Amino acid sequence: MAKKINLEMSSVENREMRLGTIIAWDGKASELVEASDYDTRKEKKRGNSTKGCGGGKGKACRLCELRTPFNQQTMCANAIVECQIGNLTDCILIQHSPIGCAADNAWFNLAFKMGLSRRNKPVQNLQIFCTNLLEKDMVFGASDKLRQTIREVKERFNPKAIFISMSCSTAIIGEDIDSIADELEPEVGVPVVPLHCEGFRSKHWSTGFDISQHGVARQIVKRNPTKQNDLINIVALWGTDYFTDLLKPLGLRVNYMIDTASYDELAQASEAVATATFCHTLGSYMATVLEQHFGVPQIDAPQPYGFAATDEWLRAIAKIVGKEAETEEYIKSEHERVMPRILELREKFKGVNGFIMTGSSYSHGLISVLKELGIGVQGSIVFHHDPVYDSGAENQNTLKYLVDNYGDVEHFTVSKTQAYQLPQVFRRVKTDFVIIRHQGLAPEAAKLGIPALALGDEHIPVGYDGMIRIGEILLDILARKRFNQVLKRHVSLPYSDWWQSQDDPFLLSKHPEVLDEIVK
Amino acid sequence: MAKTNVKSGTIVHPHYGCTVGAAYTVAAIKGGVPIANCGPGCMYKQFFLLSFDNGFQGSAGAGGGNVPSANVGENDIVFGGKKKLDELIKSSLAVMKGDLFVVLTGCSGELIGDDVPSVVRQYQEKGYPVVYADTGGFKGTNLTGHEIVIESIIEQYVGDYDGEKEKGLINLWFETPYFNQNWRGDYLELVRILRASGFKVNVLFGAQSGGVEEWKNIPKAQFNLVVSPWVGVKTAELLERKYHQPYLHIPEIPIGEEATTAFIRKVVEYAGIDKEPSEKFIKEEAELYYYFLEHFAEFFSEYWFGLPSQFAVIGDSSYTFAYTKFLSDQIGLIPVKQIITDNPPKRFREGISDLFRHISDEVSVEVEFIEDGYLVEESLRNTDFGSGVPLILGTTWEADVAAEKKGLLIEVGPPTTEEVAINKSYIGYRGAFTLLERIYTATVGGK
Repeated sequence: MAKKINLEMSSVENREMRLGTIIAWDGKASELVEASDYDTRKEKKRGNSTKGCGGGKGKACRLCELRTPFNQQTMCANAIVECQIGNLTDCILIQHSPIGCAADNAWFNLAFKMGLSRRNKPVQNLQIFCTNLLEKDMVFGASDKLRQTIREVKERFNPKAIFISMSCSTAIIGEDIDSIADELEPEVGVPVVPLHCEGFRSKHWSTGFDISQHGVARQIVKRNPTKQNDLINIVALWGTDYFTDLLKPLGLRVNYMIDTASYDELAQASEAVATATFCHTLGSYMATVLEQHFGVPQIDAPQPYGFAATDEWLRAIAKIVGKEAETEEYIKSEHERVMPRILELREKFKGVNGFIMTGSSYSHGLISVLKELGIGVQGSIVFHHDPVYDSGAENQNTLKYLVDNYGDVEHFTVSKTQAYQLPQVFRRVKTDFVIIRHQGLAPEAAKLGIPALALGDEHIPVGYDGMIRIGEILLDILARKRFNQVLKRHVSLPYSDWWQSQDDPFLLSKHPEVLDEIVK
Repeated sequence: MAKTNVKSGTIVHPHYGCTVGAAYTVAAIKGGVPIANCGPGCMYKQFFLLSFDNGFQGSAGAGGGNVPSANVGENDIVFGGKKKLDELIKSSLAVMKGDLFVVLTGCSGELIGDDVPSVVRQYQEKGYPVVYADTGGFKGTNLTGHEIVIESIIEQYVGDYDGEKEKGLINLWFETPYFNQNWRGDYLELVRILRASGFKVNVLFGAQSGGVEEWKNIPKAQFNLVVSPWVGVKTAELLERKYHQPYLHIPEIPIGEEATTAFIRKVVEYAGIDKEPSEKFIKEEAELYYYFLEHFAEFFSEYWFGLPSQFAVIGDSSYTFAYTKFLSDQIGLIPVKQIITDNPPKRFREGISDLFRHISDEVSVEVEFIEDGYLVEESLRNTDFGSGVPLILGTTWEADVAAEKKGLLIEVGPPTTEEVAINKSYIGYRGAFTLLERIYTATVGGK
């Protein structure tokens, strides 16, 4: 028996424990595929005995990970919960924290408004509450403040559900949000969902996705579903609704979750025929929970980027909904439809190189898209690496799929938004642009003369049209190189000459003793 | 009495960051490098309120994605974070270009009680320019943090001084860097005005600051000039105790010719410097100002299709007052709702309320102090703007109410996601017209 995700527990096991996630590594993509040993881990996820490291049903081998004395600012699981649960249309998130944890509300508000407009929903500001804890609350505890806030939320907005997120400070002082949620739920008459997402708990923010999805699956998703045979869950962020067009020929309606969803849209996840996603890093936990606890199958296929993977993705869905024959027709006609423009784009991109800096499995997909367009990819930075996903699915080994189908990536780096490594990284690869998600890296790439496509609408590269969409945008981005050259000529990097003269981005991990020579 | 709304203390739609946001005070000093001794998301969060979602200001040097950070994790909470911090400081000194490194300890470090001073002291004793500041996020706003960081730098870096003072040299304690989208442009305008009036200025923050050398010169200044209703007064009091340096507190950021001229005369009078340069400058600037105002008057007098008249301002103490005074006293718009969201300390509140009550002989306003954006929006929702288009100077958070009231929202404070600020100023002689251009550009035409 596969080890099921435990919905009895209010908290989630961190990704590093569940999946063996790492945040620092450097080498060839093919080497990371090998070191990840997906197949052994997959079997362990399924509860099968293996001969792999650790033997039997024990834990899988630990993936080697670099450790560095120098780190720059990054993101945390608390922020991820904000960007997920704080972006529901009729539920309220309470951040049980000092006010600083809410300082990025405005950022997710902008994303929320963009998302609502892309999904044709009324555009409105988000309404996240922050308990605004002060020094005296740290000393005397803040539980009464939380209780009062829950009542205030009910009175002001009468939401369909109330979520509570933990912060570093409330976790350290030992606030018991589980008990308070249980205590207040009968009084307010809607689900009150505790989310254990304090920033220090996991080494990678993506655990925050799992925490958000866990809360939704545990307390929102319907226990007694009535099947909707034309509904498919797409675990997504705020992207434009391209999935509807992509899946319409299969007779499917899309249920996006979590961002911009309503309570009812989340609740009906158990009524869907299947769950898919644009990125397994984001969607695997939800898809697996829905499969294990609600009998909604997940799509066991590579992610829908590039021709072959999109074909396979559609076929996997077609199999579930019994539309295999129609889908083959559809695939054929789609290839014919987009190919002329793809060929034109390939002409334009001859000799062009690109570089991807995004979340883990999304990068694997984007590199395929660039390769389809004839763009060379000598390197990529992913912000973490999951050697396996929760599903343990046969066909979700996205990095292997990339290497097998599109060739190796020479410099494949796992690093959590560490801008200081960019001078070295961009010295060893040739690139004409970067594609970026997450804050903090593109500005330094810019000063090195490299323009960035900040891919805020993460659905752009999806499917057959996705390749064309990315190609068209990249033509615009390449023109910006003139701006970046001006910048490079006149603006310097904030790093010391010593550091800029080094060649290895992970020098400090491999030889921390060099610091003793510099700082005595 | 000014109204103060107290409920659970909960905040929806925050208009400020937390204490550790003062990392941006450090980043605004040329050669300043903040070292964030806090959780992995803390700097990310502050960045968005103070820089990105605040007129998309961006940052230079060691701000934005470049801030060194301990990214405190579970092990550090359990076993202590001193070793990690030590490694971080050491590697920051090696990797980052910088003249002054400020360790800002956030919630986690403060709550687990790591002995940060002992770690930093090792570097100080070796002569490295490193200081520490206790900026746990629960201590207050980024404005509180701003004052804490300045105190740390003065106590641990600038140090003691009992030498001569230089007549005509001013320490300028003006806006909190990054907090207002226009701070860079505003510093330029105020410094231009002060220099042209005959002063030498320790600018301290932003494009024209002289970096750490200038900070070392703080004790030499004749006096401290605080231009803000409350932020910076604590700093001036510290400097008065420490260096016997007097201070001039001008709560009003001047906008328009009359206010700016009065401002200059007040500072010159206080300093006792030669009045000739300032009077010559005033004359030149006034002539220019009224040349432009005459042109504007033609539009303002005979625009056929109606212009907004009744207005609200939602923002920090400084700008809410400055914009309210200029638009009411100089342009003749009608202030109907003024809300201060930056949580000024109790001792300043009555003084701030008084400023609003005595804007001019004919203009008196009862200001409200509200931090919870939900209550701000309720108050705005219940405001009667008369028959015209409501003009609201506020933030992104007021967008929904502005839309309900079919008002014109100009985003002027944090967070602002409908403006891009590069080199812009709404203050002084020159900025006044930029503000008018911004408001009336949004008004005219077939929109």
